[in-house]
Amino acid sequence: MIQINTTEKQQHRKLFVTWAITFLILFPVLILLGMLMRIKQGEIIDISMSKFYSFMTLHGLGMAGVLFSIALASLSYLLGTRYSKISVSLGYYVYYGVVIGVVGLVIGTLIGEFGAGWYMLYPLPFKGAYWTDWSLGVSFFSILILGVAWLIQCLHILNSIAKQYGGFKNILGWQYLGKSEPAQELPSIILISAVSVLASVFAVLAGAVMDILFLMQYFEPSLELDPLMMKNIIFFFGHTIVNATMYIGIAWLYAILPEFTGRDWKITKVVAIAWNATFFFILFAYLHHLYMDFVQPLALQYVGQMASYFSSVPATAVTMFGVIGQLYRSKVGWSMVPVMFLLGVAGWAIGGFAAVVDSTIAVNRALHNTLWVPAHFHTYMLMGIVLIIFAFLYYIGANENKDNDIEPGWGFKTFVTGSYGFLLMFYLGGLFSIPRRFSDYAGIDTQVIHETGALLAKIAVVFITFILIGLASMYSTLIKKLLQSLKFQA
Amino acid sequence: MSLVILPLTIQTTAALVSLLGTLLVVSVVVYLFKTSSDYEEKSSAKAKVYRMRDRYFLGLALTILIVLITSLSMLPYPKFHKNPDSVVTVVAMQWLWKMAPEAIAADQDLVAFAGKNEITLPVDKLIEFRVTSADVNHNFAIYNSKGTLIAQTQAMPKYYNNLQYKFTEKGEYEVLCLEYCGMPHAYMVAKIHIE
Repeated sequence: MIQINTTEKQQHRKLFVTWAITFLILFPVLILLGMLMRIKQGEIIDISMSKFYSFMTLHGLGMAGVLFSIALASLSYLLGTRYSKISVSLGYYVYYGVVIGVVGLVIGTLIGEFGAGWYMLYPLPFKGAYWTDWSLGVSFFSILILGVAWLIQCLHILNSIAKQYGGFKNILGWQYLGKSEPAQELPSIILISAVSVLASVFAVLAGAVMDILFLMQYFEPSLELDPLMMKNIIFFFGHTIVNATMYIGIAWLYAILPEFTGRDWKITKVVAIAWNATFFFILFAYLHHLYMDFVQPLALQYVGQMASYFSSVPATAVTMFGVIGQLYRSKVGWSMVPVMFLLGVAGWAIGGFAAVVDSTIAVNRALHNTLWVPAHFHTYMLMGIVLIIFAFLYYIGANENKDNDIEPGWGFKTFVTGSYGFLLMFYLGGLFSIPRRFSDYAGIDTQVIHETGALLAKIAVVFITFILIGLASMYSTLIKKLLQSLKFQA
Repeated sequence: MSLVILPLTIQTTAALVSLLGTLLVVSVVVYLFKTSSDYEEKSSAKAKVYRMRDRYFLGLALTILIVLITSLSMLPYPKFHKNPDSVVTVVAMQWLWKMAPEAIAADQDLVAFAGKNEITLPVDKLIEFRVTSADVNHNFAIYNSKGTLIAQTQAMPKYYNNLQYKFTEKGEYEVLCLEYCGMPHAYMVAKIHIE
């Protein structure tokens, strides 16, 4: 633990609120892009196919990037004000890097019509036929800027906590693996930060390799890369970064929830083993994205399913049971922060369960690239990560004091109801084999797919409207509270 | 067994299992909300939860083991393939399918490959689709006339993914592309007639 003075804390707070407001602006804008996609699929308004795929690309890259960024910023704030020395000025460079990256992606996709999807499956970016050549370069450079900004912040966090807590082995909790209790207790947030940020570093490095290879091909079109290798790299990047975003959120959950329940949440041998195992499983679970590539070595297909299954063990038996242990008969006041934490973990469990079902190879052959996939990851994101991030925003809005936390109002309830309704339409889409990443279903001759797909999309639009109305109501108090939190006194 | 109107397929089974999982999570959440006002001292509450966790852990480990053993023995990969009754070459390209009932030479020009986006195949015969792409990644996905996805594999440039499938019902099947491949991706369709 560290002590910082009021001025330093104010500087951290100002940087964080800047991040928070930026996130709160971008989040509904990116939802709107998703809504437009469902509007097109629901045949409510006709939007051109090129616009659809540009929106899809920006929605995917933007959401994953913005959520990872705000998660990293939230963690940096909590670490920097309580646990280790985190630089505010470096934080601003990272912030501007991310802003430049996001602006670049907006220009590349919305003006240049770059629309290869977030995963830019090689060689599609170079053979997409309709987007402008310059939009490719702008998008690749923007992603590189984002990656560099994230990498700098991740390495800074790892370096800072390792310095403060006795080195790299210690922050991974290895001192808990021996027979005796360690002499000095390690805060649980440090262990989880170490695991999740280290996983992020691996992911960002993989993303950088891919991006640099893309840039090389961009400047030297005769270059040919191996499509299977590129697929492995991109899914390692994408899957790991999204998983890491959740685990970063879990880091502050371990630190903040005990303040509301009055029950400590310490590292034990089981917790240390669980998080080290999690790190291992995170790195291999991505392989389940390549089940339908029959030429992928068989051993890797087995590893993909096993890593996906095993990752559910530490997540549920340790973290989720930890949450239950925190809340069970704790007389917790059900204000916004604990409610969001509980529902966020529940969303993680529900989305995770559907993901594990789909990570079974024998099942994946019937669900791969149907709407089942966006169903489970939107659950994990919207009703998981997003709620855990909002819990943190409300916590800062309450000036880090549980007595200032507000009660969940109708806006929040509308947001959650709308979200689960919206998600249900994706799950039903998976059940009815509706393909994902289809601009519309009019080209399908099998009428039942066309009609069901369009109907589910139409209903989803209604639920997205609920989501936006709920958010608007939540924003009206949250933004005020965040701005007020800038005037805090020690 | 059927889900009221839906036949038992991989999709309905997955949905049913996921629904049960969701109900379990919802029950835990409701229980935590309902019991939170009954205060129990931290150590005894935690002890109860941890006892439950130990049982859960054993149950989960056993479930994972059983599901892994059973599910990993029925995979769609070449190692599990049998000798096919006939071979169909499938070449995907932006934005059409070319299918022909013949094997293809390794050095054949895929763009010039003379397949059609419609093919007639026999019922109850094991067909091996040798699927590749002339340009970007696609996904060869077969839907039956009820709109259910019954088999799929990726169509990747430079590689052949071999998919085996035995059609047990006569009728019309539709091929859709299930990997995003550029603007008219949703319009890349083909037909398989089973007689």
